[in-house]
Amino acid sequence: MDNLAELFHGFTIAVTVPHLALMAVGVLLGILVGVLPGLGAPNGVSLLLPLTFGMQPVSAIILLSSMYWGALFGGSVTSILFNIPGEPSSVATTFDGYPMARDGRPTTALATAFGSAAFGALVGVILITFLASWVAQVALAFGPPEYFAVYFLAFASFVGMGGAAPMKTVVALAIGFAVAAIGIDTVSGSVRLTMGIDELVKGVNFVVAVMGLFGIGELLVAVEEEFHARAVSSRIDWREVFRAVGRLPRHSVALLRSAAIGCWMGITPGGPTAASFMSYGIARRFSRRGRYFGTGEVEGIISPETADHAAGTSALLPMLSLGIPGSATAAVMMGGLMIWGLNPGPMLFVDQKDFVWGLIASMYVGNIVAVVLVLLTVPVFAALMRIPFVVIAPLIVIICVVGAYSVSNSYLDVVMMLGFGVVGYLFKKLFYPLAPLVLAIVIGDKAEDAFRQSMLMSKGSLGIFFANKLVTCLVVAGIALLLLPLALQLFARIFRKPNSPHTTNQEKVII
Amino acid sequence: MISRRALELATAILTGGFGVAVVVQSLDNGIGWSSEGVDAGTFPFLTGIIIVAGSLYNLARGVVPAGTLASVPIAITSVELRRLAGLFVPAAIFVAVIPLLGMYIASAAYVFAVLAIPRHQSIARSLITAALTALALYVVFERMFQVSLPHGALAAVLGF
Repeated sequence: MDNLAELFHGFTIAVTVPHLALMAVGVLLGILVGVLPGLGAPNGVSLLLPLTFGMQPVSAIILLSSMYWGALFGGSVTSILFNIPGEPSSVATTFDGYPMARDGRPTTALATAFGSAAFGALVGVILITFLASWVAQVALAFGPPEYFAVYFLAFASFVGMGGAAPMKTVVALAIGFAVAAIGIDTVSGSVRLTMGIDELVKGVNFVVAVMGLFGIGELLVAVEEEFHARAVSSRIDWREVFRAVGRLPRHSVALLRSAAIGCWMGITPGGPTAASFMSYGIARRFSRRGRYFGTGEVEGIISPETADHAAGTSALLPMLSLGIPGSATAAVMMGGLMIWGLNPGPMLFVDQKDFVWGLIASMYVGNIVAVVLVLLTVPVFAALMRIPFVVIAPLIVIICVVGAYSVSNSYLDVVMMLGFGVVGYLFKKLFYPLAPLVLAIVIGDKAEDAFRQSMLMSKGSLGIFFANKLVTCLVVAGIALLLLPLALQLFARIFRKPNSPHTTNQEKVII
Repeated sequence: MISRRALELATAILTGGFGVAVVVQSLDNGIGWSSEGVDAGTFPFLTGIIIVAGSLYNLARGVVPAGTLASVPIAITSVELRRLAGLFVPAAIFVAVIPLLGMYIASAAYVFAVLAIPRHQSIARSLITAALTALALYVVFERMFQVSLPHGALAAVLGF
C-alpha cells in the first residue's frame, strides 16, 4: 500500500495548474508531430529537450512524456482519417480504422481507437505503479555484472523478438554501440574512433542521430510515395463518441489480451510498433470475426491501439527502475534525464521520489488530458493535413537542421544529421530496425562501463557472469533469446518446406 | 531504377565499411587486458567485428536471391528516385551553404527555391512563406530561447 500513498503524493505534484498547462502544451505538440508524417515522437521529444534545461526535472519529464502520449494519439488520427500512419506504431490501425471511417463511421473509428488506447495506457500505468518500485528494489542489489546481464538481455530481446531480420538487428545494435564509443572514453580518458576528425572528441549526441534517422530518414521514405490526403469527414459526433466507448466492454477479451501483449512488448524492449502488429495478427487469428478483419472491424482497431499505447506507456517502466529504455522515445527521454543530472535506475526511487511519483501520477492525468484534447482538436489537425506535403517537407528539414545544430552549436552535427538521414532511409527501406540503434547509442556507454567494471572485479574472467543465480538466469535468458530466431529457423527447416513465405510477413511488421 | 538487391548490397557494404573503420581505429587504443583492466579499444573492437560479420552475412543474403528478395525485385523506381532527389539534393545544398549564408538566409532561400522553382506555389506565396520561415526561426531561437544560430560568413563580411 506504500505505492498508493506515494501515488497520492505524486498527484499533489502532477495536478497543479502549471503542470496541467504543461501537459496540455505537451499533448498538443505531440499530436502535431504525431500527425505530421516525417516527424514522430522520438524527434519531437528531442526537439523539445533543449528547452527543458531550465526547468525542474519533474516539470520537464511531464512535458516530454505528455508529448509522447500526444504523438501516440496523433498518429492514430491520420491513420484512421487519411490512411496515412503518422507514426510507425499506428500502421496497423490503418488496416481496419480507415475502412471503417470510409464507410461513414469516422467518429466510431476514432472513439474506438482512443477509448482502447486509453485503456491500454491505463493498464500500462497501473503496471508501473505497482511493479516499478518493486523492480527498482530488486535492482538496488545489482552490481556491475547484473547490470551488464540486464543490458545484454534487453539487447538480446530485440534480436529475438523485435520482428526484424535477426542479423540486421545485430548490425544495427553494434553500429549503435560503436557510435556511442566515439569520443572520450569515460574510463581511461583516451580518445576513441574519431576517424581523424578532431571535433568528434565530444562524441556523437543521440539527438543528432535521432533527428537524422527518424526525421530526414522518414521524410525520404514519405516523399517516395506521393500521397494525396483524401480525408473522410473529420466532424466529431459527440453522442456517437460515448456510444462507441460504451460498446468497448463487449470486447473485453480483445482489450485485455492486447494490453497484455503491449505491456510485455513494452517492458522487454520490443517497442510499440512490434506490439501493435503482433496484437493485430493474434486478434485476427483468434477473433470469431477474424475473416472480416481489414474491412472495418471494431476489434481490428481495438487490438493494435490498445497494444500500441500499453507498450508505449510500459516502456517507461524499465527506464525508471533499471535505466533501460523500452522504446526509442523512452531512450530519448532517458538521455534527457541524464542531462538534467538525474541517474536513471533504481536509485531514482530512493533519491528522487517526487520526480518518479510525480511522473507516474502525471501519466494517469496526462492520458485523460490527451484523450479529451485529441477529440477536441481532430478537425484542426485534419485541416493541417491538407497543407501540401511539398510545403511541409522543407519545413521539417529546417526543423531537423536547427534541432541538430542547437544541441551543441556545431555545424558538424548538422552534416552528421544529414548522413544519419541517409542511413535512416536505407535502414527503413531494407527493414533494419532503428529503435535498437538509438537505444545502443544512448546506453552503449553504460553497458560498456558495466562490462569493464565486471571484468575488473573478476580480473578478466567471464565466469563472473555465471557467479550467482540471478546473473546466470539473466545471461542464459539473453543467450536463449539470441538463439531463438536460429532455433525457429531450424524448426521450420525440419518440419516445413524451406522458403516458406513467413519472412515477408515478418518484414511488414517493422515498417 | 535501383533493385532491392543492389540496395541490400550497397547497405551491407556501407555498414561493413564502417565496421572495418571501427576495428582499425580501435586497434590504436589497444585491445585486450592491461594493468588498468580492459583496454579502451576492446569494446569498440568487438562491436566492429560484429558489424563486419553481420554485414558479410547480410551481403551474402543479398547476393543469393532468397524468396523474399525475388518477390520485391525493385526497391526504388525511377519516379521515386526523382522524388527522393527532389527532396534530398536541395536539402544537401541548403546544409552546404549554411556556413556561407547563415541559417536565416539559407533557410529562406531553401524554402523559396523548393516552392517556386518546381512551381508548386506562386512566386509571391513562395516569397511570403520563405520570409515567414526565417522570421519564425529568428523569433523562436534568437529571441525566445537565446540560441544563436549561425549567421554565416556573408554576414560577418557585411559587419553583422
